[in-house]
Amino acid sequence: MKHLETVKGSDNWLTTKFTALVNWAVNQSRANSLWPMPFGTACCAIEFMATAASRFDLARFGMERQAFSPRQSDVLICAGRLPFKLAPVIRRIYDQMPQPKWVISMGACASTGGIFDNYAMVQGIDTVVPVDVYVPGCPPRPEGLLYGILMLHKKIKGEDLFDPSLRTEHLLNDKGLRLPPEQIDEISEPFGNSVHQFRSA
Amino acid sequence: MNPSAQALQATFGNAIGRVVDARGETIVYVTAARVRDVLAWLKQTAGQDYDYLVDVTAVEYRDRERALEVVWNLRSLASRRDLRIKVELDPRGTLAVPSVVDLWAGANWLEREVFDMFGVTFTGHPDLRRILMWETYAEGHPLRKDFPLRGRFSRSEQVRQALNVNPEGHYSLEELAIAESFDELPAEMRDRLARGQRDQIANSE
Amino acid sequence: MLEPYVPWLILLVFVLVNAAGMLILSHFAGPRRPTPVKLAPYESGMPPLGSAHERFSVKFYLVAMLFIVFDIETVFLIPWATIFFGSGAPGGPGMGFLLIEMLVFLVILFVGYLYVWKRGAFQWD
Repeated sequence: MKHLETVKGSDNWLTTKFTALVNWAVNQSRANSLWPMPFGTACCAIEFMATAASRFDLARFGMERQAFSPRQSDVLICAGRLPFKLAPVIRRIYDQMPQPKWVISMGACASTGGIFDNYAMVQGIDTVVPVDVYVPGCPPRPEGLLYGILMLHKKIKGEDLFDPSLRTEHLLNDKGLRLPPEQIDEISEPFGNSVHQFRSA
Repeated sequence: MNPSAQALQATFGNAIGRVVDARGETIVYVTAARVRDVLAWLKQTAGQDYDYLVDVTAVEYRDRERALEVVWNLRSLASRRDLRIKVELDPRGTLAVPSVVDLWAGANWLEREVFDMFGVTFTGHPDLRRILMWETYAEGHPLRKDFPLRGRFSRSEQVRQALNVNPEGHYSLEELAIAESFDELPAEMRDRLARGQRDQIANSE
Repeated sequence: MLEPYVPWLILLVFVLVNAAGMLILSHFAGPRRPTPVKLAPYESGMPPLGSAHERFSVKFYLVAMLFIVFDIETVFLIPWATIFFGSGAPGGPGMGFLLIEMLVFLVILFVGYLYVWKRGAFQWD
């Protein structure tokens, strides 16, 4: 893609229209056939299955081919709570997905840890993998997940094919974390009812 | 009231503490020193036949003056009777009870869970390591009352430690490859593997 | 003379252009960001244990090879059967002759079958 990425330098009507056309075509292809990797751990996985079934068909979005191998998937849908023991697994699976890749965090537990504000659960998968769309709900209704998928479509269609920063690999830093520790602590802060649960000693 | 309770009192005398009937279920308290004999007697005696170990668990009460109880739930399939054996330990002392893996093979993982969550050591257990948390989990034993709900480390530290765990570090390639034919191995090789000395094969991480 | 085949040729060209186009376009439009973890073998998210070069038992090869041999034999039987019932016409080979020829062929292969059987190649375990 390197030589195409330098096309942006010259700005005349023809190249602008050309890049717009190429962008449109590629983004449409990517958005309308997002092959999901369902990383279903808990109850949200059941709602994901319901969304994929006949009433709330996922096939009309091109997502009926669910790739249970990360090698052939575009979007990692983490449906369900993530224990700390499973964190290296999702990290590895995310790393093994080829670009372009996106992540949907489905449900309250995948987004923030949900009701499980304890020693065993990751407080939101965004502490471990970068997330594009968060779908709230416990579990989200299929319409909710479809809204999140359409939101991801909008995001993809607004992307620029010639922007290499969109497709950088977000690896773990040398401390073994994705974000600085202060930021992980900040996004894991308890909120809502969790604030009252501080039992210790 | 389960008739095994009277039989236990008759056989073991002062090793049996109180017998409680809780809503139709029989609970027998036993001293820690004799609990293994009691459990073996319950399994092996002809009239008792408690061949099904339903669960091994532990209880620590909110009232810190109460003892920490280790509980064995037994069931006799032939006579359809349930029995609960409890041992009381000092929550601030050393927590150790004998293991019953040689009596009921299912106790293997049940005792590992109690060790993981409460820190109770089961003497004689062939492979006592954590089962629910990862093996190098360093924050303590989660279901103890002095363990804070969110764990002892900060969230970023917990994430960092979790991401650095090697989930298959316990098994070496050699063990996995020869697992099926383990019984046919030469004795010295079995001993070497049991001691934890495993050859490293180049491609395993 | 070759006009009926022109649509087929058009289809062939279209298919080839399509397949090649997909490969070439995705080669240029697809970002490539290899990392060590990405290139490691996929084992459900666990670190891979050992190499993937397992040794297979030779019985699979034997069964496949024997199948080929006896399948070819069957392939020869089929055209023979089509002419067998049309034989008996004057001037051609008689039905008895055709039968003897095929039986000779089958007996030769049957000897090979007996040999393979006695050598234990049909034993799966």
